[in-house]
Amino acid sequence: MDKKLFKENLEQIDSYLKQEGISRRDAMKMLGLGGTAMMMGSGAVTEAKASSGAKGKILIVGGGLSGVATAALLMRTLENPDITILEPNPKSSSYQPGQTLVGGGVWTNADTEYMTADFMPDGVKWIKEKAIEFDPDKNSVKTDKGQTIKYDYMIVAAGLKLDFARLEGLGISETITSRGDNSAVKKVIGQNGLCSIYFADGATDTWTQMQKFVSDAKSGKKVKGIFTDPDTPIKCGGAPKKIMYLTDARLREAGARANAELTLYPNGGKLFGVPEYNDAMVKQFATRDMKYNFKHNLIGVDPAKKIATFKKHWLEKGAWDPDLEEYEMVPAFEKVEIPYDFMHITPPQIAPEEIAKSPIGSDKGWVPVTQETLQHTKYPNIFALGDVAALPMGKTGGSARKQYKVLVENLVAVMEGKKDLPAKYDGYTVCPLITSIGTVMLAEFNWTGKPAPSFPLDPTQERWIWWLLKVYALKPMTQYGMLSGRA
Amino acid sequence: MKKTLSIIFGVSVLFFATGCEKKEEAKITYKLTTEQVYDQMCVKCHGKNGEGNPKKKAPALNDQTIQELRLGITDIKMGGSGVNSSGTQHEVMEHNMKKIIEKGMDYDTDLMAQYIHDHFNKN
Repeated sequence: MDKKLFKENLEQIDSYLKQEGISRRDAMKMLGLGGTAMMMGSGAVTEAKASSGAKGKILIVGGGLSGVATAALLMRTLENPDITILEPNPKSSSYQPGQTLVGGGVWTNADTEYMTADFMPDGVKWIKEKAIEFDPDKNSVKTDKGQTIKYDYMIVAAGLKLDFARLEGLGISETITSRGDNSAVKKVIGQNGLCSIYFADGATDTWTQMQKFVSDAKSGKKVKGIFTDPDTPIKCGGAPKKIMYLTDARLREAGARANAELTLYPNGGKLFGVPEYNDAMVKQFATRDMKYNFKHNLIGVDPAKKIATFKKHWLEKGAWDPDLEEYEMVPAFEKVEIPYDFMHITPPQIAPEEIAKSPIGSDKGWVPVTQETLQHTKYPNIFALGDVAALPMGKTGGSARKQYKVLVENLVAVMEGKKDLPAKYDGYTVCPLITSIGTVMLAEFNWTGKPAPSFPLDPTQERWIWWLLKVYALKPMTQYGMLSGRA
Repeated sequence: MKKTLSIIFGVSVLFFATGCEKKEEAKITYKLTTEQVYDQMCVKCHGKNGEGNPKKKAPALNDQTIQELRLGITDIKMGGSGVNSSGTQHEVMEHNMKKIIEKGMDYDTDLMAQYIHDHFNKN
């Protein structure tokens, strides 16, 4: 279709849908049930290319979205697949991108939770144990139940851990995953104004805490909401801000926005890394009277007194540096205490400890891979993808959706004894940035640091159509397209 | 209503199908070659052989894999890992990098990583 015409049509659809509205139940029903059929008929799916006769035992560590999608595509690419997945958590492949919507009261946890067994491809051997020791020189892995598993090729898709334990004053000593046992964290986070959408129960509790916050504001009390963003890479870099936009939206809905002050305290110095999206967000924040205070890293919380402690950092002018021909910059810090009524914590995030400290990890923990091919930098028979991989930018489902196809193509090439790896990942990632109940800015970009929109529409605009994409379409597409290795 | 839903679904299928179309990026041309930038600027702190200089708080570069160099330099030039507000591990160097670019010594991060690795790596 002519590009201009396509663009005009999309604009029309956007405004039409806005007027028309849509019932949630209708959308869920149709998109959910019709998903598979429509995908199959649409021609949008990636049908596996000519099958490969390559042989070898493939071990996938981790059965989240990345691990299951990779297994599914391998099953359909290899003539004689021999694939084992190590994953102890029966709900590992649940829909994490929905946790923001749960936190904002748009969905409930049931909308995001599903059983991995329902999506595990036929023929994959699933061992419900956890890999705890890695010996890549012997192509072997040990599990928590004492099993030793040998492999010819290994794919690391183990995700990441949420490190609330690093924050002082919370009394938390364990790291958790977003869908695993979170009892160590739940007893503090999710209570008394403190919350986090980064783990499943936390998302549900965020909605409870947010409602209390909104009703306090409505009762006439002047309240403060604060939102954090740590100094580590995080999954879904947009989420710390999405939950802030949703809080703003809920306060407005209740007619109580004037009584609440909302401030983002991120460790970094901007709202978004891509300048075009950053500029758009600066304007969105200004319109909504949402404030930000850069270069604040949360280091402690007093949950009883409701005080957050940040390490505020900046650069001070030092001595003249004749080499650089500029003044030297010296880092400076101070501790800052901020009282809150409601605080959303984006926890520091780390690679799983058993992987970080193993030979397949790195000093920063993440599994080092060549960023285009996803092959391990030291072990050519090991690949990694998803949150655990040491890649610049996106730890998102949208990134994984591009990565697993690249990985499978390259792994098969290695299995076939080819020297050159044919597929290259370009760093594509997507952040459907929820800016209110009913609008989303679809921020797509890659390693060029520039917007990489899939549609010929101005990507910096907030649109109703992207809200519908986020709320109604992406989950069935992920379930039936990606987890089956088709799209 | 069915029509409406079909439209959304059509759009989302397109989204999953197209993802990012490769567009031809305008090639950026730099004033100086990677080697010239290293010899005129980086060398002052990171050393002739990329050995680093603790006095200038400049880390060694000659023991890093090419992928580590790429990640480090990208992080510095982009001011963090792109998508989020988490900032960078290299705050001082991020500032210096801006000054270096102002002085007309911008460079391609991948080529620089390659240059450092090819010439200095001791492993």
